[in-house]
Amino acid sequence: MRRFHDSNPAAVALYYLCVTGVTMFSVNPVIISISLLASVLNYCLYAEGGVKPHVFSAVLLIVLTAVNPLVNHNGMTVLFYLNDRPITAEACIYGLVTAGTVVASLYWIRLFTKAMTSDRLLYLFGRLSPKLSLILSMSIRYVELLRGRWRRIRDTQRALGLYDDGNPIDALKGSARVLSILITWAIENGIITAESMEARGYGTGRRMSFRMFRFRSSDAILVIVFIALTALGVIGIGAAKIVYYPAIGMDLTEPVSIAGYGGFAVLSILPVIINTKEAVRWRYLRSAV
Amino acid sequence: MTVIENRRVRSVMRFGIPLVLIPALVVTGAAVFGEKRYLLISLGVAMLALALFAAGIEKKNIGSRRMVIVAVMTAMAVIGRFIPLFKPITALCVMTAMYLGAEAGFLCGALSVLVSNIYFGQGPWTPFQMLGFGLIGLFAGYLSLPLLKSRVLLIGYGVLAGIAYSMLMDVWTVLWYNGSFDGTLYLTAIVSALPYTALYAVSNVGFLLLMRKPMGDKLGRIKLKYGV
Repeated sequence: MRRFHDSNPAAVALYYLCVTGVTMFSVNPVIISISLLASVLNYCLYAEGGVKPHVFSAVLLIVLTAVNPLVNHNGMTVLFYLNDRPITAEACIYGLVTAGTVVASLYWIRLFTKAMTSDRLLYLFGRLSPKLSLILSMSIRYVELLRGRWRRIRDTQRALGLYDDGNPIDALKGSARVLSILITWAIENGIITAESMEARGYGTGRRMSFRMFRFRSSDAILVIVFIALTALGVIGIGAAKIVYYPAIGMDLTEPVSIAGYGGFAVLSILPVIINTKEAVRWRYLRSAV
Repeated sequence: MTVIENRRVRSVMRFGIPLVLIPALVVTGAAVFGEKRYLLISLGVAMLALALFAAGIEKKNIGSRRMVIVAVMTAMAVIGRFIPLFKPITALCVMTAMYLGAEAGFLCGALSVLVSNIYFGQGPWTPFQMLGFGLIGLFAGYLSLPLLKSRVLLIGYGVLAGIAYSMLMDVWTVLWYNGSFDGTLYLTAIVSALPYTALYAVSNVGFLLLMRKPMGDKLGRIKLKYGV
């Protein structure tokens, strides 16, 4: 079973670039609604996180909607006056659309962060430059190493009785000492690592690298599908005519735009489609055995 | 597998990106989208600028010892981002830059953002943050001699770095919310970000003063002992 996120990291990154890009590119309410709904669906299915992120998003949506009419007084339909400044319906609606854009992009970005684990990130950036990828992979490893080491130094200091949590000044001095020991150890250890690398011939020949991911033909198909659907969506957005100021004028129902909405909708629930297809196939294969 | 290992590609990038690609992107972007879509354009420019630095760094021969120490300092900065409120990331970048050079400072700043965003969330803001912290490190490296000598200058640099970084990220906030740049919104963003700006500046100065002596001694000793 090859789920959507097991595809080549480059394809997965391109997917999130496409959906986020179209979402941020558009002020079309239909596209934004599709994007928001689909991203929430994706998030609920593939990223566990409880209710907290959704509450945060709802609050953000309300706050961002309110900001625009407070700073922007364009528009013909005046709802009421606040401090002698007109609050207009157009500014409110535009605020809602931009808030939707921001919240939907945030959901996509969170999904992207969940999908891009450090090995995938390394695979993507390693292609850019070997030196950068080496420093990157070492620092990713050092983060966990140093955290573990920090805990050990702290425990040792506590066991020696040098670390008193009751007194804030003592605690501060204690943590400064732990930090100092940690840094000394980390730098010395780094130098030893470097010596060892050089002794084994680092930098004398071409570097090879172990890679977890291959670019398969199915990834190529995915990439083509992403680009085609994104292009359809962008053309659809271009065909719809939307004016917010001074009065709202929308022509959302051009046949081309409807095709664009369809394309973008398919694009945004593509992970769900692929995972469902794979799950069904898996079930079928299993029952065939 | 590597794009930038090829010397010719690298030299093409070093001249092509600032002279051809960035102006082309800005002009076509402005022509195609009107004034509405600065966000996408600026994101493209930020990523190209990072690629430019990647090409430049690959050219310089940073020894493997220096590389490993940069990795260690990057990891320290990442861990430092877990401290609530006060973040030592700028201070660590500046220290790295002062003792190991401008390239090391840039790498430390940019990569610590990239790595720590694995924990804090990647997004379209990542290239901007990388560029922001990278430049803080880079300039500290160029100014390393006066910064090493004078404590007042170091404090000034910490304050300035905090304010400049905050203002850069406010530009990004406005672009993201509005699509185009808007003076009133920018002022609103700056004012509402004031506590954070102050916090940045205070933690920069605080950590720089705290680390200046002990951290400087350690890095200086390593430099002397192993000839980094």
